Amino acid sequence: MAATQTNPLRVGLRQERVISPQCLVIFGASGDLTHRKLIPALFELFRQRRLPTEFSVLGCARRPWSDDDFRNRMAEAMADEVKQHQSAWQQFAACLFYEPVDLQQDEDVVRLGTRLEALDRQRATRGNRTFYLSVSPAFYGSGCRALANAGLLKDPSRSRVVIEKPFGTDYGSAQSLNRVVQSCGKESQIFRIDHYLGKETVQNILVLRFANAIFEPIWNRNYIANVQITAAETVGVEERAGYYETSGALRDMVQNHLTQMLALTAMETPGHFDPESIRSEKAKVLQAARLANEDEPWKCCVRGQYSRGGNPANPMAGYREEPGVNPESTTETYVAMKLFIDNWRWQGVPFYLRTGKRLPKRLSEVVLTFRKAPVQLFDAAGGTPTANQLVLRIQPDEGAGFVFDVKAPGSGMRSRPVDMHFSYDESFGEPSDEGYVRLLADAMLGDPTLFTRSDEVEAAWRLYTPLLELIEDAPHQLPVYPYEARTWGPSAADNLLAEDGLMWRRP
Amino acid sequence: MAPQLTLQAPLQLPPSEVPAYLNRLWTDNLKDSSGAATFTLVVWEPSWLQQQLIRTGRADGPITGLLNDQLLEAAREAIGALGLPASTAPTAPDVAWALGQLPGSHGAEDLRGQFVDRAISAHQPRRLITLAPTLAGDQQLESTVAAYCPLPEERGVSADACGDVVVLRGGMGAMQQGLAMLQELIPSDLPCWVWWNGTMDESPELLEALAVPPRRLVVDSSIGEPRRCLDLLVQRIEQGQAVNDLNWLRLRTWRESLAMVFDPPCRQSALDQVVQLDIDVEGQHPVKGLLLAAWIADRLGWHLLNSFWIDGGAGEGRGIGAEFQRSDGQSVQFRLMPVPVGVSKMHPGALVGLRLICAPPQRPPLCVILCSESGGCMRLEAGGVASMELAEEVVPLPNESEEMEMARLLGGGHDSTNPLLASAAALAAKLLPN
Ligand SMILES: NC(=O)c1ccc[n+]([C@@H]2O[C@H](COP(=O)([O-])OP(=O)(O)OC[C@H]3O[C@@H](n4cnc5c(N)ncnc54)[C@H](OP(=O)(O)O)[C@@H]3O)[C@@H](O)[C@H]2O)c1
Repeated sequence: MAATQTNPLRVGLRQERVISPQCLVIFGASGDLTHRKLIPALFELFRQRRLPTEFSVLGCARRPWSDDDFRNRMAEAMADEVKQHQSAWQQFAACLFYEPVDLQQDEDVVRLGTRLEALDRQRATRGNRTFYLSVSPAFYGSGCRALANAGLLKDPSRSRVVIEKPFGTDYGSAQSLNRVVQSCGKESQIFRIDHYLGKETVQNILVLRFANAIFEPIWNRNYIANVQITAAETVGVEERAGYYETSGALRDMVQNHLTQMLALTAMETPGHFDPESIRSEKAKVLQAARLANEDEPWKCCVRGQYSRGGNPANPMAGYREEPGVNPESTTETYVAMKLFIDNWRWQGVPFYLRTGKRLPKRLSEVVLTFRKAPVQLFDAAGGTPTANQLVLRIQPDEGAGFVFDVKAPGSGMRSRPVDMHFSYDESFGEPSDEGYVRLLADAMLGDPTLFTRSDEVEAAWRLYTPLLELIEDAPHQLPVYPYEARTWGPSAADNLLAEDGLMWRRP
Repeated sequence: MAPQLTLQAPLQLPPSEVPAYLNRLWTDNLKDSSGAATFTLVVWEPSWLQQQLIRTGRADGPITGLLNDQLLEAAREAIGALGLPASTAPTAPDVAWALGQLPGSHGAEDLRGQFVDRAISAHQPRRLITLAPTLAGDQQLESTVAAYCPLPEERGVSADACGDVVVLRGGMGAMQQGLAMLQELIPSDLPCWVWWNGTMDESPELLEALAVPPRRLVVDSSIGEPRRCLDLLVQRIEQGQAVNDLNWLRLRTWRESLAMVFDPPCRQSALDQVVQLDIDVEGQHPVKGLLLAAWIADRLGWHLLNSFWIDGGAGEGRGIGAEFQRSDGQSVQFRLMPVPVGVSKMHPGALVGLRLICAPPQRPPLCVILCSESGGCMRLEAGGVASMELAEEVVPLPNESEEMEMARLLGGGHDSTNPLLASAAALAAKLLPN
């Protein structure tokens, strides 16, 4: 969220929740995520005085770094930040430590336990620990097991494990990973990351729905005609071809981020605002969701892949020409689909999801379109009357908008739509926490609200199982349609809605 | 200690035997452990008000050191009966002092240090030391010790979660005498908080001896003579000690409410155009109001030119006035006035209202008024405000006990003073005229 100006009175007012003394152990400390996101987020928390004095970060990976190597590498990676806040960095760097650990070597993990005890004494961190697995997903299960075997997850109130995405690659693998992870500790100790939940506006869906009495009575099939959820990116695959080729848009975006937006939009009202009530409602609504046509899933899903585009001045390569991509790749970079939720609230209301790379705009939004007025009293200036729409904008220009009809100026009584607009920037100005700042703080606070629970992850994978199986077994039935880079996806995706007499919103 | 499991009944021991006893306890009974690696909390717990209310038969024992609703009620009744001004807060030292002039000799069991708020015990202090001075100045030093562990159902009872409590009780002379032994009882390798839960002007030598850096000091600048409160705060902060002030922490809702008004970027430019700041407080204790004003002035980069006393009308007491200079050279007028209230809040000098007037060029002035939930602020709403753009907010009353506030500090603290408090305290001390 770009801040136009910051409010001088707001400085230091974000410290309501206190992170207790602890040691944050990062596995994968020499990796990309640690220096790009995790350490910068921690430094931000440190500068805002949201970390206690009794705090330490213990970086772990296989390479034989010393504490100082680790500190220096992190300082190099964040050189600009460090230069701006040199004395703060000196103090922060004194909390950074490193221990060479191979997660696959039990004796390494036992040695880690000894180092942690020493650090606890040195830093008075009260035996309280958060373990962050920022390693290849192949190590999530064995990593947890190694920690449990070394007795490091024994006390559920003083140890937590944060697991990066992706959690499994399909329903079966997510289930078995859950089984392994749950055999190592209690569910309350496991924090599965979904970056979208770190976004303020995704959290705002909850507040908007449940803090305002006006929305809940109309938030159902009686008033809402359909829901569209979009996450569009302008970038291509960039340097992630190796990973993306094995994943594709369905696994990379839909199963996690879009499904989280779906769950927050469609869930029932929780009885309390506590993590378990919220997560239970999210899991329930995902269990009630299904593809619009499970028997013939190709009829309710469209896949696409970007081809060349741009213009002579700025040509854009097609996906198959990108470095690291198989020239005959059938990996989808775009996917659109139609879902239903079989419960009292949503029976018969279609939910349309779409996401893609190399689309014309970078944007994420949830759009609820309301039913038309039962009787049309006025002529619409634009020919047909527009339906009311509530638009929840996740990024960029975070906020919400409401489209409704007013009298068109002039003689007569014609109606035309206008847009009522709320913007975070205009109202609050203040940049909100970067996603990782929020998620790291919550994990260290032991607050799992913004992390996905085992049943949610499994329900999300199960929802897309018919599609994943089809792609595996009979890919020709779900062809990958090419679309020109920087256009709104293949025309087949438009047909998906045209069959229902609808159109995608052109944001 | 409600949610804890005491390993043995609290044991009364001759003071000189306490250190050796505790050593033995940890090495013999709880083998291989030196207890929870957490922190030490030392509490100066005079509870003068509770002791006096009990002695004069206005409240029932035992003496616990915890303020509850009945005690506050009894204190409010006493304020009326003693002829103190109605705006006197129940925790103001004047109340205990006036009660001290009355006859009475009701006794009660003294259980100070043995009732620990759950919010505090949840952090598993390694050692909790309570200093409990008695009304009788010549009472001998007594000491009580007990070891405790979390209840098994809360956590597996392992010695690395256990701690102990030590209570030192006696007259003021005895307290001095216990001091040397007490220093020995504070483990040097763990953080230590010293909670001065009394008035800031009492027993300065004891405070000096107890609150040595790097121990973290927790005080309440609403209790004690204002000059002494602010000077002590500033002096400690300047020495580099980590100081937490409960009076400052209780300003949080006011700071949040004011910040909220200026969150929309379109309002923020008005902050550069402030011409007047008024604050109304309950009774004659200005420190909280001064801290708020100083925080605003510091955040907005104002420079203090002068400050002076203002004589209020009959019965209203003295106010404080000051003039600041904004960074663009314009002047800002500040007034802090005591206002009479029917029923005072718990702490002296609670805020009643705040008014900030901004005069942007070529625009109608903006007037921001914040009122406390429990008392309107008609005085601030009167007087020409009608022609301005008005932004009013009601500030909710914080409903947390001292112990909750304290637990929050213990939950994760800092070894340096919050820089916002450091700046505000220094400026507030200058704002208070001599
Ligand atoms: N980077 C991102 O933007 C991003 C975004 C979303 C999710 N993620 C997820 O975050 C995790 C980390 O991503 P990354 O990009 O940082 O990966 P990366 O750069 O490949 O780093 C992997 C790290 O794991 C360490 N490692 C490998 N084998 C190990 C073992 N046996 N024991 C201990 N450490 C071991 C490596 O260090 P050594 O070679 O020294 O052992 C390295 O520090 C992945 O799960 C990824 O899916 C990353």
